This record gives sequence, structure tokens and C-alpha cells, in this order.
Amino acid sequence: MAYSKPAATKDWNQPPVAGPHLAPTDVNLLLYSVARSSGPQPKPANSFLRNIGPTQGKQQPLAVMSQSLRPYLQCVRSSLTAALTLSNFASQTTERHNVPEIEAQTSPEVVLTPLVIARNENERVLIEPSINSVRISIKIKQADEIESILVHKFARFLTQRAEAFFILRRKPIPGYDISFLITNFHTEEMLKHKLVDFIIEFQEEVDKEISEMKLFLNARARFVAESFLTPFD
Amino acid sequence: MLLLDYQNALIQSVLTERFSGAPPVHIDQTVSDFDGVTFHISTPEVKTKILLSIAIRCFKDLAKYGAEQVLQREYGQYVVPVEPGYDFSVLVDLENLPESKEERDALAMQFALLKRHAMAAPFEEAYQEHYTLKEEASKFSSEDAPKGVMEGGEVKAIHYREEEAIYIKASHDRVTVIFSTIFREETDRVYGKVFIQEFVDARRRAIQNAPQVLFRNDPPLELQGVPGVRDTGSGEIGYVTFVLFPRHLTPQKMASVISHIQTFRDNFHYHIKASKAYIHSRMRKRTADFLQVLRRARPENEEKERKTASGRTFKVQGS
Repeated sequence: MAYSKPAATKDWNQPPVAGPHLAPTDVNLLLYSVARSSGPQPKPANSFLRNIGPTQGKQQPLAVMSQSLRPYLQCVRSSLTAALTLSNFASQTTERHNVPEIEAQTSPEVVLTPLVIARNENERVLIEPSINSVRISIKIKQADEIESILVHKFARFLTQRAEAFFILRRKPIPGYDISFLITNFHTEEMLKHKLVDFIIEFQEEVDKEISEMKLFLNARARFVAESFLTPFD
Repeated sequence: MLLLDYQNALIQSVLTERFSGAPPVHIDQTVSDFDGVTFHISTPEVKTKILLSIAIRCFKDLAKYGAEQVLQREYGQYVVPVEPGYDFSVLVDLENLPESKEERDALAMQFALLKRHAMAAPFEEAYQEHYTLKEEASKFSSEDAPKGVMEGGEVKAIHYREEEAIYIKASHDRVTVIFSTIFREETDRVYGKVFIQEFVDARRRAIQNAPQVLFRNDPPLELQGVPGVRDTGSGEIGYVTFVLFPRHLTPQKMASVISHIQTFRDNFHYHIKASKAYIHSRMRKRTADFLQVLRRARPENEEKERKTASGRTFKVQGS
């Protein structure tokens, strides 16, 4: 079970030069080893590595992120990669059914221990693995009323387009803002590490977007108020 | 478009065009404005005589505070008996227009300001009341003033929308204008709060001479005992108070201050809606970006099996 301590402690802070170099290498190694161990990957190993290349380039420069965000996302990334070892598994209780076991919850022996990664009390990720599906729920930071309205709107906006997002769950798990459900069928037809990339990028971008929208709203309000009150002068 | 205009742009453009010397045409148009105000611009008898009528929901309130006199003063010779179904009418004869272009444009503008003039009546009355109270108050020191002078006058209520109203109260050192405004949904309420907070802070931060702005969800003390004031306790209704100080109450500033403060509610809600629209389009764009990222997870088409002309295939080693 992985658990990152809320707010970065000193030992997470790596030297600024070594940091950005070290982290991606770790990820690559991890991805690579997981990919090897997970077995039924239809591609040759070198094509897999080729796909890693551009991902690394697209990643945000890690130094820009805040010090506590980096280990948090790193932890989510590794835990998620480890959890995404899915195999086809037909339902044990109903003949000729093949359902995500994490949703069905009919056979406790194939549902694994859920895992919470928390950055602080307002931001956390719940990963619920099972033999053929993983459910990932994200709680997005909501510091005040505006942020919670924006998060709510954004989450609704996305879930209404769940059809296009394949892995998005139409309804979040109670206590979280947005949930994803990845089944073995998804991992079979999509690249696993790219799915992980998507979840991580989603987390980064959502936070950024929410705070930008909030800033925009405040800036506009200020500008409007001043321009309305100026003619009285 | 940061601030809203005081005049109705459609009426202005129709009249400016007619006044420009173009051949007279038949007009029959209904024009809407903010706060459920409707105008009817028509040529009922001959093409050269344009009749402009206005219907305002709160005309009864306005008439009580002297709207008839204000409109008579503003439109004088153009006032005609009211068209049925409307509250006030003016008639302009195209054959009897001022000579110069500037005067004609000014006349078109004057007609386009019909709503502003109608709504201005209670404000003007409050100004007058303030002047008299000030006069009276100057005779007393604050301790021995008789009751009534220091408290100020009656609260004037204008129910200009179905559930919203403007309340105006004059006293010897200020005129208080209170807007009650409804937030239809939670999002509007939150956005409104952000905007109002900036209005409240603007005076402290940048514009020292602006009127003081206050905001609360329960009726302010000035409105105690005024009929029709509700307190839902749910934060659905907001009360925005503008306190106009003597520097805003000079006769020179009266016209512009009245015009400007009238647009507050519409301006405020307009910007809330505009922000919502912007944020919506932004979310749309961001969602498209996310989809792009997710699409990257789908592997590009794997290289197809290639065949030689004779139909034999290459076999890749190790797969």
C-alpha cells in the first residue's frame, strides 16, 4: 500500500538538478518491469519503448510543479501502473456474463484491497483494483464556494460526455468528484501507460484549470466593479 | 462592451435613420428593453408621423413619484394622448424637425432615452427631498433636531421587475439606493457574491470617491416595515445598497448619476451571465484537450501484414 504523507516533507525534496532527471527514469523502469510482468502485451518490447519516448517529452517539466504535488502524482502513477494488471475474467456467479468485478462485487476473492493516496484532506485518489477492472476516483481540491461550483460544473461537463471518454464512469463514487473505470477490455485495446498518463495529466490540468477560472472570475469582477464605479467620481 | 448604454440602441438607430431625410416609410415595430419594458414604434396615420409608446411594469409607482412631470418636462411639445395598452406616448412629425443634423441626432437620442427618463423620476424626487432636508438640518445641531429631519424621508419603492425592486431613501446627508436582486440558481449566487465583493472593495482600493456599496442577504434596516420586502433566509435574494454622498448629489451631477445607477442591476447580471458563458466555453475546450490525450492511448494502426506479389508474407522474427 502506498501512502504519501500530506504535504511534502523534507526528505521528498531532491536536489533541484538531480530531481527532474531521476524521476522519469524511475517511472520508465517501473513501467517497463510492469509491462514485462503483465504478460499478454501483443507488441514487441522495442515498440513499447519507442512509445515511451514522446511521453517523456510531453510531461510537464517536473521542476515547475509544487514540491508536494510531484511525489503525490508520482505515487499515483506507480500505484496505478501496478494496479493495471488486468486479465479477462468471466463472472463466477452468472453464466456467460463478463462484468467488471469491482462494480459487481459478487466474488470477494477477486476484489483486491482498495488504496487511498491522499495529498491532504481535500485532495485524494482512491484506487480500487480487482481481477478484471480498476476503479479510480479522484477528489479535486475545493478550497471555497467558487471552486466547488467550478469543480461540480466541470465534473458534470465531463460525465455528460462519458461516452466519448470510454473510461469515464458516469457517476462518481460518493465522496469523490470524478471516477474512472478501466476494464481489461480497455487495457487490451489501449496502451496502458498512456492511460496512466491520461489520469495523471487529468489531475494536473484540472487543478490548473480550476484555479485559472477562479482567477479569471475575480479579475473580471474587479474590472467590472471599477469601471462601473468610476463614472461616479 | 463593458458598460451598458443608457439609451435603447434600436430606437435610436430607427429614428436617426428616419430623421436623416430618407423618404418616409411605414413603421410598425415592437422593441424590448431591460426589465420587461416594451416600446412600440409605429406610423399609425401617415408615414411622416412617428408614434413612440412605452410600457413599463412599474409605471404606477413611477407616476406616484412624479414621472408624468419629468416626462412632460423632457418631451414637452411631443407628448400625445397615451396609446391603448401602453403607459406613455410621444409623437414626432418628420416634416417639423429641427434643421441641423446635430439637433436631429440629439432628438433621436432624447427619444431613445425614454425609459431612462421615466425611471429617473423617483431619483429626482429623492434629490429634491435631500436638498430640502439638508436645508432644514442645517438649522439644527444634531442633538436638538426634531424627529423626522435626521431620519430622512419616506422609502420610495419601485417594483420594476416581478420580484425585484429599487428602494430609494433620501436623508439630509445622503441618498440611499437599494436594489433587491434575485439569484435564480446557486451558480449565479456564488458568481454574484464574487462580483459584489469587488464592488464593495473597489472603494477601499481604487476609487475613493465612489458611492459606498454594501451587500447583504437580509433586508437592510432602512427597509424595515416597507411592504413587499421579503426575507427568504436562503440567500436567494440579495440587497445591494448604494450610498450616494453629497459629492454625488450636486445638481450638476444629478443627470449622469441617475442614468448610471439605473443600469446597475442589468450590468451586474449581464456580467454574471457573460462570465458563465466564458467559463462554459473554456470547459468545452479543456474537455476537447482531455479527449485528445485519451486518444493518444489508442495505438496507431499497427503495420499491416505485407505481401509480396506472389502472395507470400514476411514473418517478423520474435512476435
